[in-house]
Amino acid sequence: MLSFILRRLLIIIPMALLVVTVTWALIRIAPGNFYSTERKLPPAVEENIKKKYGLDKPWYEQYGIMMLNIVRLDFGDSLRYPGQTVNEIIARHLPYSATIGFFAYLLALVVGLSAGIIAALKQNSLWDYGSMALAMLGLSVPNFVLGPILVLFFALGLYLVPPSRWGGVSNIILPVITLSAIYAAYIARLTRAGMLEVMRSDYIRTARAKGLDEKTVLLKHALRGGIVPVVSFTGPALAGLLAGTVVVEKVFAIPGLGNIFIQSVLNRDEPLILGIVAFLSIIIMIFNLAVDISYGFLDPRIRYE
Amino acid sequence: MRGSRLYDLRLYLAVLAISSFLAGCTTSASGRYFGLTKPPSNNILRYITGSEPESLDPQFVTGQPEARIMMALYDGLVEYHPKTMEPIPAIAESWEINSDGTEYLFHLRRNAKFSNGDPITAKDFVYSFRRGLSPDLAARNANLAYYLKYAEAYNSASAFVKNPDGSFVQKNAGAVAETKDTDSFGADSEFHRFIDAPERLTVPSDEKGRSKLTDKDPKLKALLENKEFVPVRAEDVGIEAVDDYTIRLKLYQPAPFFLGLLPHQFFRVVHQASIEKFGKAWTKPENIVTSGAFKVARHRPYDVLNVVKDPNYWDAASVKLAGIDFYPLDEQTTMLNLYKAGKVDATYNHTIPAAWNDTVKQFTTEYSLHPEAAVDYYSLSVKKPPMDDVKVRRAFALAIDREALALFQRTKKPLVDFTPEGIFPKYEEARQKIYTELLTAQGSSMAEWKARIFDAEKARKLLGEAGFPVQQAGSGWSCPSFPVEKVSITYNTSESNQRIAEFIQAQWKQNLGITLPLKNMEFKTFLPYRSAVEYDGVVRNGWVGDYMDPFTFLNLFYSKTNDGATGWWDPKFDKMLDDANKEVDEMKRYEMLARAEFFVMQQQIIIPLATAGTSWVKKPYIKGMYPNPGTLHPWKFVYLEPDESKWTQSMDDIMKESDPVMNAQLEQLTATQEAMKKAKAAAKTAE
Repeated sequence: MLSFILRRLLIIIPMALLVVTVTWALIRIAPGNFYSTERKLPPAVEENIKKKYGLDKPWYEQYGIMMLNIVRLDFGDSLRYPGQTVNEIIARHLPYSATIGFFAYLLALVVGLSAGIIAALKQNSLWDYGSMALAMLGLSVPNFVLGPILVLFFALGLYLVPPSRWGGVSNIILPVITLSAIYAAYIARLTRAGMLEVMRSDYIRTARAKGLDEKTVLLKHALRGGIVPVVSFTGPALAGLLAGTVVVEKVFAIPGLGNIFIQSVLNRDEPLILGIVAFLSIIIMIFNLAVDISYGFLDPRIRYE
Repeated sequence: MRGSRLYDLRLYLAVLAISSFLAGCTTSASGRYFGLTKPPSNNILRYITGSEPESLDPQFVTGQPEARIMMALYDGLVEYHPKTMEPIPAIAESWEINSDGTEYLFHLRRNAKFSNGDPITAKDFVYSFRRGLSPDLAARNANLAYYLKYAEAYNSASAFVKNPDGSFVQKNAGAVAETKDTDSFGADSEFHRFIDAPERLTVPSDEKGRSKLTDKDPKLKALLENKEFVPVRAEDVGIEAVDDYTIRLKLYQPAPFFLGLLPHQFFRVVHQASIEKFGKAWTKPENIVTSGAFKVARHRPYDVLNVVKDPNYWDAASVKLAGIDFYPLDEQTTMLNLYKAGKVDATYNHTIPAAWNDTVKQFTTEYSLHPEAAVDYYSLSVKKPPMDDVKVRRAFALAIDREALALFQRTKKPLVDFTPEGIFPKYEEARQKIYTELLTAQGSSMAEWKARIFDAEKARKLLGEAGFPVQQAGSGWSCPSFPVEKVSITYNTSESNQRIAEFIQAQWKQNLGITLPLKNMEFKTFLPYRSAVEYDGVVRNGWVGDYMDPFTFLNLFYSKTNDGATGWWDPKFDKMLDDANKEVDEMKRYEMLARAEFFVMQQQIIIPLATAGTSWVKKPYIKGMYPNPGTLHPWKFVYLEPDESKWTQSMDDIMKESDPVMNAQLEQLTATQEAMKKAKAAAKTAE
């Protein structure tokens, strides 16, 4: 078990560096640069900029300098926002995304698990059809549609909550709901399918045969196996959610990492892009690892070699 | 059980119905205003200024969103007039300009202070100007100051050429120097004698850059033999602190618009000690020292920048707002949502989404649609066939119905020339006169010129003359010989650019029978592609003026490295502009500029499309904020009016409105300069 974790942790480093390299190459292949604006710069000014940012050096030298810094976990200063380091920017904007993402996933879990379990237990009833229809709706209405509808109704119609921006608790209600919808729907469907499968399995029959009451069968035996698909979904989903979601952050003007990430790409802010990409890839790999570890606890049949 | 569930559902539906009814009420019942309209009780204006500011360093930033923030945080020698954007006194209480317009003398007020209480003196301005020009800062706006003597040489790390005898090689060595007796001001100084002396030759300081020049120019090579190269320093640039409260600027050549350029953030004053102490971290809220009416209270990037009134500001007594919250946003719908919900008080220009336009337009107390110092046009690749033929270019320009385009765009006005309509009334007057004269000489008339707004028949005729005959095809036209594979309409990806491109594509199809392909590109990819004229035929373009003078537009086609993105350059045009700027008489200068504009428009290197309109909203309780041509608001004039009877009645008439509060403030500010003008006039008559 320990060697498994260690092995997986070690592999993260070269993987992240590879991701960074590929990203760097893609940025360099794309035409355009961070400093150009609608106005053409006088040649002297452009020369000054190139000199200042080391763009006059050969590419391999630039790549070497960058990689050396990254290995030391120093992504340097943002090109777009001089005086702000990439690490500082990520640390500053991650909490916004993480807050929204965390609460959205929590809500999705509560709603999705209950809907899924109820649907599975009362298979082919009105409950089942109703919750699965809602889940289908949640999956098919994109959040850039759901968000504005919620805003139109609750913020601009009733003036109950602010339509956007960061602030108090009332500011995050709409984005959390918007963001959670699709996850809740997905979790509901996964739970239902997982539960149905488990409920038909032999060990549940055995449990019942032992004379256990239905509650124990359900919560102690069926649920643990039934939510394995949800757990494997949770890893990448939570990683993505915590690290920011572009659309919801845009619609609600939340200063989260997703918003920053898109802007950094549009601004060709190379250090910031690389920093966020590296951060995201590490987060995703760690969450996947966490998921793999948790299987062992949920399902005794899974073993690590 | 079942019954109660049904009851729940009914209750839910009822709540839904009631709330949607309420939603309807809140929007229509108070139909006079758009959404919630209540002045903020804390006297803090909430303003949306566009994307997150790149920095709070005025010499470094370039965008409009930043410009508006810099205007709150920093003061300059002069400030924009809230309505006209003409320069009005700021830290300089008065100024003088010599008779040929190459020397400026600014008299600073003595009570100006930085936000930390340090006095602002002439030295601070000298530092700020030199800092902006330093190659190490690599400011993208540095060229705004290139009118100052040796500014470009310093910024481009050039060197003077020193003779073995210790003298310096002059720029026009050999040529007969223009001996002009220019009057100067202020005390004489060693620096002044240096800067006033004939211009020295400057060449790149590095060997490589020099050999690039000398390879093409053997005469220069001979001249540079056995010479010493002395780098141009910051101290050589044409700005001088004559004493603590007097600044002298020296220009290469007359630039009558230069004063109008000085309110730009690039020329605003920064605090040397804190910049040197904190280095690149000087703009952090805990370190920053500012010079404007407001100072930084808190900065949460991508969320809000809170600035508060600075009690140390020299004119703090007339600053009425307690503070401003700048919200960095660029999603139009999000902005309007916040505005409607009463969470923000005003937005910047071009912020009304097309889908909302008809709704918002009805609120005449809030919606501003005024002409802007900005134009939309398409550039043409004049070096590549078929656009290398002026007849083809003219045909394409004529075949667009600009009235229809303006209607389609809702916020724009048709444009047939290059300088925007309705921004420079005096220039337009001069242009009318010159155009009439030039057109009559050509056997044409002003009416015919104006008809260029749309003339499909003439367009087809011209295309025929160019060798691409247009034939009737059913109810439309066709032009089979036109090489459509060589021309496309390229634009940077955006919904509005696409709408316009499709409109123009349809116009050309309808009027010329030519269907050009559309090509869109990501913005940063598009920029170098356009400026290197790599596109085929037609490319989207636009220009926003930097100062209130038509030269800011005509200058776009000046010099070989011009930003017109057409490949066109004509030294004749450069000379026309240079000559015009040497002219002291305002109207005569405008007439000369008009001749230059006529000249370039005859070449039809671009297709003018529209003068932009402001298109933004403000709550009616905001006063002292006007739809000026650059949407740049000097914040110390802005205030919140609690008394509803004094609120803005109509945005359409707001420019004619006379606000006693603002008038008093303006009068007090401009008194010193008016006195200076009077004294000068009196001295002149006494002579």
